[in-house]
Amino acid sequence: MNEPELDELFQDPAQREVVELLRMSRPAAPPLDPNFRTYLRTKLMTEARRTLQPRAARRGFSFSLRPKVLLPAMAAVAAGFLVVLGIQVFLQNQSPSSMVALDVSHIQNKTNVATGDPIVIPFSGPVDKNAVAASVVIEPATSVTKQWVGQNLVIIPDHPLAPNTAYSVTLKPRATPPTPDPSNPSSTPRPVPLPTPVVVHFTTVRAPVAPVVPPSYLSANVSYGSESRLADAGTIFNGGWTPSGQLLVTRPEGQPGPGSLPTPSATATASGPLAPKATTDIWLMSASGTPIRLLVPGGNFPAAAPSGGVFAAWQVTPSDQANLGIWDLQGNWQGTIATLDGVPDRAPVWIGSDRIAYINQGRLLVVDVHGAQVNARSIKMQRGSLAGSPLGTLLAVESVDGLSTVIDLASGSPSPLPGLATGFAWSSKGDLALLVPQPSGIDLYIAAGGKNARRIASSPSGQTWSDLNWAPDAASLMLASKPVGASSSTSRLMLINADGTGLRDFASQQEDSSPQWSSHGDLVLFTRQDEAGGRAFWTANTVPSEVDAAARQAVAEVERFMLARLKGDRTAAQSSLDAAGLTAYQGGASPLLSPAGSKFDRYYPVTVQQTGSNPNKFLVGVRIFVSRSGVQRSFFEEQLTLVLSDQRYLVDAVTSTPSVALGHGPTVVSYEVVSTSQGSQVRVHFDADLRPETVTTSTIQVRDSDGNPIGSQLTFDPDNHLATLTVTLQSRSTYQLVVTTGVTDINGVTMAEEYHAQVVGR
Amino acid sequence: MPDFEERDLVERAKEDPDAFGALYDRYFPQIYRFAYSRVRDQSLAEDVTSEVFFKALRNISRYTYSGHPFSSWLYQITLNAVADHYRGQHGEVELEEGADLPSTAPSVVDEVVRRDRSRRIWSAIDQLPRHQRAAMVLKFGEDKKIEEIAQIMGKSAGAVKLLLHRGVERLRRELPPEFEAGLT
Repeated sequence: MNEPELDELFQDPAQREVVELLRMSRPAAPPLDPNFRTYLRTKLMTEARRTLQPRAARRGFSFSLRPKVLLPAMAAVAAGFLVVLGIQVFLQNQSPSSMVALDVSHIQNKTNVATGDPIVIPFSGPVDKNAVAASVVIEPATSVTKQWVGQNLVIIPDHPLAPNTAYSVTLKPRATPPTPDPSNPSSTPRPVPLPTPVVVHFTTVRAPVAPVVPPSYLSANVSYGSESRLADAGTIFNGGWTPSGQLLVTRPEGQPGPGSLPTPSATATASGPLAPKATTDIWLMSASGTPIRLLVPGGNFPAAAPSGGVFAAWQVTPSDQANLGIWDLQGNWQGTIATLDGVPDRAPVWIGSDRIAYINQGRLLVVDVHGAQVNARSIKMQRGSLAGSPLGTLLAVESVDGLSTVIDLASGSPSPLPGLATGFAWSSKGDLALLVPQPSGIDLYIAAGGKNARRIASSPSGQTWSDLNWAPDAASLMLASKPVGASSSTSRLMLINADGTGLRDFASQQEDSSPQWSSHGDLVLFTRQDEAGGRAFWTANTVPSEVDAAARQAVAEVERFMLARLKGDRTAAQSSLDAAGLTAYQGGASPLLSPAGSKFDRYYPVTVQQTGSNPNKFLVGVRIFVSRSGVQRSFFEEQLTLVLSDQRYLVDAVTSTPSVALGHGPTVVSYEVVSTSQGSQVRVHFDADLRPETVTTSTIQVRDSDGNPIGSQLTFDPDNHLATLTVTLQSRSTYQLVVTTGVTDINGVTMAEEYHAQVVGR
Repeated sequence: MPDFEERDLVERAKEDPDAFGALYDRYFPQIYRFAYSRVRDQSLAEDVTSEVFFKALRNISRYTYSGHPFSSWLYQITLNAVADHYRGQHGEVELEEGADLPSTAPSVVDEVVRRDRSRRIWSAIDQLPRHQRAAMVLKFGEDKKIEEIAQIMGKSAGAVKLLLHRGVERLRRELPPEFEAGLT
């Protein structure tokens, strides 16, 4: 058994057998609500800040795991940042000395609030907690859980808030009723006067609107652009992108650094707990192949965390052990989370941003970023495919016996994948792509959310596919294709849509493989076999389609136009108008600048659609928020028609909607038209939690030019406030999207106004 | 984490909320896992875990290093919190040390067909008496040394050995014969 105290305790062979079984297995990971850990931490930290008393002298050892460095990077994805909404509350039955006075300057009217954040409202005096919690009203209507943590009211949205949305939280801070005077039992406490409601305003982050999404392209439409060799064959062993678009690469030891100065490897800046044994080093490199800095002497197989900021890698020690460590992109060591005997031959695998999987002695192990083991199942693995979902707890595993599964680390439950499934790749949306070998080729499957894998395409007979890699927008996959049995020198890069259609060449070269999209989608990293048989790393830029490039140009013009209007710069705004556009604004179609006493506070694009047969005319819907006295009160929408004129898009026409007061029922946040194999989809995003029974084809319609509803099927995703109409639209024909006031939020409040917007068939 | 680093972190956590947060981040998974292994109910495990860390926060100023890892103290609090819970459950009957595995054992055997062996052996551990189960989970689930388990459970090392011995012996007796083939 190789554990002395167990050896001593269990002498009987049958008992030793049981002990060995126990040591080789682990209890299943318990079910865990992913919000619980964050929620409890929030409560604890609030209490800790309230109760822990600093001493005069602080600090002991000068080094540690450096939680202040590591944790924020990890917590950014795992936990998100708290929105602490400070409020100034006057409790009328308290002495002035106990009045609440919190700093609200950086909190009230905060913008760019993440949609997944809990809302914490701190109070500094005794309050009637039940009454305060019951008084909370959130607009737009949002289903929440309310918890008191000490003197903090924590409001946790049941699912993410809507983007681009101004929220208000209204509550009545009611003090604890005064207790009777014990010296005068007959006295009656004075009733507590109801205070004026406190209203806290904040705005959530601006969400992308298709096709103007980061990446500002549609991967399904890109083509191969110019290419660039990063380095000679043999000077980069492996590499990958960081989320910010730089490269983490493994190079032979002692490679030149910035300015081509030779950089000593193992003697360089100590970046780990022990002096490493250097045969390779990990470098940060620009996308053009310029070495930026040495990160890990003796390091190999770096893997960037999906959240960015840090990466995991192996670092070999002089005793030929390998430490699995975490470093930041400055090369600062954050901690060692595992140590293996021997040198690993593959990179660690991130699962979300707080777990890492690796193989040790033929077994799969999963640890958290502190090294605590989190997996339950004992799985044999060697060379099989292993991939972690960037979104959370799912791990796709090809075990040594050919059985492939997706393991949910939260519940411990496995979901089987098709037999012999391999080549796993997770999309940014959490869908798993995989390959299943067949006698004459290979099948491509997609498992949405890691479940129910469905075959979507097969390689042409005699061809085989490998090296699946999702585009960042999850609309398409890149892969390497070659004849069955051929060497990788005949491999070429191809693209295929996420629904299995549109297989096409990406590059014409015949010796490319291992593609990796950059997170911005503008570059692809790949390897190419050179004349001498070595493999060098290359990048190629992706060229958007003519339509996508034109849309980007039109939206950029809208951005200029709107910023000028927000600044009140009439001249600059008018420079974005052609003659017809100028006439339209001067004729009162819509106010170019905000009326006196109000201010155009912010805007965002609601929709972007091509309207002309050529990419020379676009419809861009913008929502403009109007504030008075520093508070956003209302919004209206403009539908701008932009026409290409002498190499520049100009606003040619405008229509506008009536003003809608904020905070009165649900509203449409954005909409988009998407082509699918089943027809067109019109996807309408709302800002509030809706009553599903009010989302029907009677309340959400696409109408033709005569005002008649066209046939549609409607689905509703309440968690994402998304209604999807599947309709048949004639290409380039114009329709009306109508959302009636029959749509109500969970409180039964109807939309303040009927919503009308143009839809153009694609 | 090296011992001296943990001691430093614990000392700082007596006054520094961020340091306490770091302790929480480090020990949450194992404390939650251990709590769940004892109560087998997600909601209850959350309650216990919450109680453990709040008790730790309230009392960390009085914590002094005793030669055992900080986690031992957290495990101790967990065991006490679980015991408090059971004390509050008047209708719940705890198995006696000498009792056989419950008559539901055949259902465990039935599950042999559809569950993997790892899952089955841990299901069987769930059926052990409370103290045996705690010792087995700490030893084989959390990889604790016997001396540390003894400290956590407030028992002597000899008593822990006895619990482990009894637990393993009962598993050997009760588990189906195919376990002799070992895990694959």
